[in-house]
Amino acid sequence: MSSEEMSTTSQGTKIVRTTTAFDCGGRCPLRLHVKDGRIIRIEGDDAPEPEQLRACLRCRAYRQEIYNPNRLMYPLRRTGAKGEGKFERISWDEALETIASELKRVKDTYGNSSIFLIGGGYLGALHSGMRATAKLLSMFGGYTTSYGNVSSEGSVWAVMAQYGSVMVGHSREDFLNSKLIIMWGWDPARMISGTNTMYDLIKAKEAGVRIISIGPRYHDSAATLAEQWIPIRPGTDTAMMVSMAYVMIKEGLHNQEFLDKYTIGFDKFRDYVLGIEDGVEKTPAWAEEITGVPASAIERLAREYATTKPASLMDCQGPARSAMGEQYNRCAMTLTAMTGNVGRRGGSAAGGLMGIPIGHMFRSSGIPGMRNPVEAGGPSIRGTLDLGLRLVRRVHINKIFDAILEGKTGGYPADIKLAWCVGGNPLNQLGNTNKAARALKDLEFLIVSELFVTPTARFADIVLPVTSAAERNDLTRPWPSGPYFTVVNKAIEPLGECKSDFDIACELAEKLGFADFNTRSEEEWLRSFVEENPETGEQIKDYDKFRREGVHRVKLAEPIVAFKEEIENPEDKPFQTPSGKIEIFSQRAAELNNPLCPPIPKYISTWEDRNDPLIKKYPLQLLSPHPKNRVHSHMNVDWLREVEPHRAWINSVDAEPRGIKDGDEIYVFNDRGKLAINAWVTERIVPGVICIFEGAWYNPDEEGIDRGGCVNVLTNDAYSEGGAAALNTALVQVSKA
Amino acid sequence: MQIGFYFDQTRCTGCGACQVACKDWHDLPAGPENWMRVLYSEKGKFPDVFVSYMVAPCYHCLNPVCIPACPVHAISKRAEDGIVVVDVEACLGNEECDVKCLKACPYNTPQFGPEPGAKMRKCNLCLDRWSDNKLPVCVEACPTRALDAGPLDELKVKYGDIQEAEGFVYSNRTKPSVVLKPKRPKAS
Repeated sequence: MSSEEMSTTSQGTKIVRTTTAFDCGGRCPLRLHVKDGRIIRIEGDDAPEPEQLRACLRCRAYRQEIYNPNRLMYPLRRTGAKGEGKFERISWDEALETIASELKRVKDTYGNSSIFLIGGGYLGALHSGMRATAKLLSMFGGYTTSYGNVSSEGSVWAVMAQYGSVMVGHSREDFLNSKLIIMWGWDPARMISGTNTMYDLIKAKEAGVRIISIGPRYHDSAATLAEQWIPIRPGTDTAMMVSMAYVMIKEGLHNQEFLDKYTIGFDKFRDYVLGIEDGVEKTPAWAEEITGVPASAIERLAREYATTKPASLMDCQGPARSAMGEQYNRCAMTLTAMTGNVGRRGGSAAGGLMGIPIGHMFRSSGIPGMRNPVEAGGPSIRGTLDLGLRLVRRVHINKIFDAILEGKTGGYPADIKLAWCVGGNPLNQLGNTNKAARALKDLEFLIVSELFVTPTARFADIVLPVTSAAERNDLTRPWPSGPYFTVVNKAIEPLGECKSDFDIACELAEKLGFADFNTRSEEEWLRSFVEENPETGEQIKDYDKFRREGVHRVKLAEPIVAFKEEIENPEDKPFQTPSGKIEIFSQRAAELNNPLCPPIPKYISTWEDRNDPLIKKYPLQLLSPHPKNRVHSHMNVDWLREVEPHRAWINSVDAEPRGIKDGDEIYVFNDRGKLAINAWVTERIVPGVICIFEGAWYNPDEEGIDRGGCVNVLTNDAYSEGGAAALNTALVQVSKA
Repeated sequence: MQIGFYFDQTRCTGCGACQVACKDWHDLPAGPENWMRVLYSEKGKFPDVFVSYMVAPCYHCLNPVCIPACPVHAISKRAEDGIVVVDVEACLGNEECDVKCLKACPYNTPQFGPEPGAKMRKCNLCLDRWSDNKLPVCVEACPTRALDAGPLDELKVKYGDIQEAEGFVYSNRTKPSVVLKPKRPKAS
């Protein structure tokens, strides 16, 4: 379709219905007002309520991203030292020739495995970096890449162990059917978990549903929704859950009938909880010591959750982004089974992912991949819980930089010499940024495709300017949920010399001699993605209408409830686990024979928690939640910065002895790095914890102090046994600057 | 007729979508000129904390004290809808008159850019949108539907006549055109 066909024009202003493709859990319809080829205003969805999908502040500031004075307008070649940020303008032809010749040189000198592809946070069917570029590199003989995502691997491992499925969510209107909602480490006002989720929770609250929030912060979701806030120390959620199970078992409040019918291994979990396995009774008093939550509060919550039916326990992914992260989601799921809330309206299956099977990102179409020759002959990884098998040919996402530094002698699958980073800012967004900076200096060649000279791009040899989603057509989905499908419609011509990732791959393919790389036009691809996808093929009969309207909403006759069929018809519809049941005990996990990854969920103390002797030197636990004034490291724009300046949450109990007053500049540091940031002294965070939102741009001074406040200079490039990037496990000290 | 705002303080998460949408619609640069502000209040000590937000557009008072404060009569109240508007051309600017309107307003509504001589501008209830049957952009932007706007009489029928909230004091002198649903501290 031409852009004229899919837009309406009034008084010289064209309205383009579209959305963005940021790495976000919402996907909100937008109306871009375009006049004289320029976007002059943005409005949101205009569908009648209750179907309206309202955008948050981030997309409201989209114009400042698109027309940012720092947008890259032409290809760059580095002229200064790596990281220095000095570049000169070059032509596309020269940029692509240089890339082609470097790819050939590295392939000929070291082999294809030395070429590394790093994906990013653009979630589009056509233009995602891991699609066209990956196909091209496969045709070129292959490449090494990362395994996993930095957000949710703890939760993914946990749900695959417990349920064998990632579709663990309910459509959000089902909150109205709950009697009690427990938000455990979940802040949907900030971390968009489906476009209208916060509004749906407000409607539930107003309908009389009691809401309790558990977490180290009294965040805006808690402040808006919760009748009760239960503050808890980071990394200790599982201990509290285990002791809630203790109360339920001791008082006979658990649903034994449900457990007998639908689960396996509850007896082993019970033996652990009661101390039969290890001699330690997991009493509320035991948990109080660890969590800081009074035993009486744990007892009350256990009774309330066990006796209020139905109740929705909503865990999330943030607490699972930790050294023992998967245990938290596994234990939450076990509590939902103990209370018989799985597969039930108004209940929940927990698991942290909240995905529903209509409109889920995981079921999006894209350019068909090609077998990557570098990964040929690797072990079969389908369905495995053994992370080691997944890392035979790939590098864990939080170890990319360690792999660059250590190579095969460090146990990694390749000696990485060239990296291509497509639409991501890994230096900034993965653990241990200072190590990442050392690693990027170690590379022979780095290509970055981006909209900006990001902290990662400062190390690049060639930077390619890429179009924003306003300058190209695509299909995109939110992370966890529809039930709707959205389109990215091109609103304006590419700015400067920007090209789409798809076009870049096509043009480079020509330089590399792959005349048959692409067989379809952008339009043909998009149409095929809609028509050939099992979901959209079924749901969307009029492709042109879908493009014009930018969104297709699916009307649900009743709320989607995860595992409803498995619970209603267990004979015909077993769970997708080896046993066909909810696996509180996982034989696949048992076979790993790893005490840090046990077959039943357990609370396990870890490095850099409050038991680590390191706490004497670095006495504060660090959290790095999603920012509300950015989309990760994207949307670093003034309109959002002035809504919420980048600052560190610190309790007055921790601030006062250090002489820190609200607004003071402080240093936050540990052995991995040191950053400067302003303090926000607040009563809304547990004493002993400091919170710095991720995504602020790394900007080290001559002494190596990060003046940008990039929290990952403090986090560890470690992962849990299930594969979670352990970014919420870190100890730091704070001083007044 | 008097048009005004409704604000449900219990629904406000302080996200700032209203503020950003306002800046986008009216094409306001980043900086001190904010036609829609979101004020923050935190009370109590850990763990008993009370948090609330209060939106601060122009409340288009029934008795706008900014009007007589202006030495050049640049501010006026429209007869047809009570919207308080400013004639930016007539305004003397922040230096010449020393922001008399801002000093008069109990809600700090009049806004000035950072530059010397900046003229006063402020929320005009999205005058340009009413003719297209659209509510003010802040209202349509609020993700939790905490805002509404319309004839004050109708808002009172729909939402009640409470005109107080945390972080807001009703001025009997100026009579702001706003109806509120206040957030109350939890009974402990």
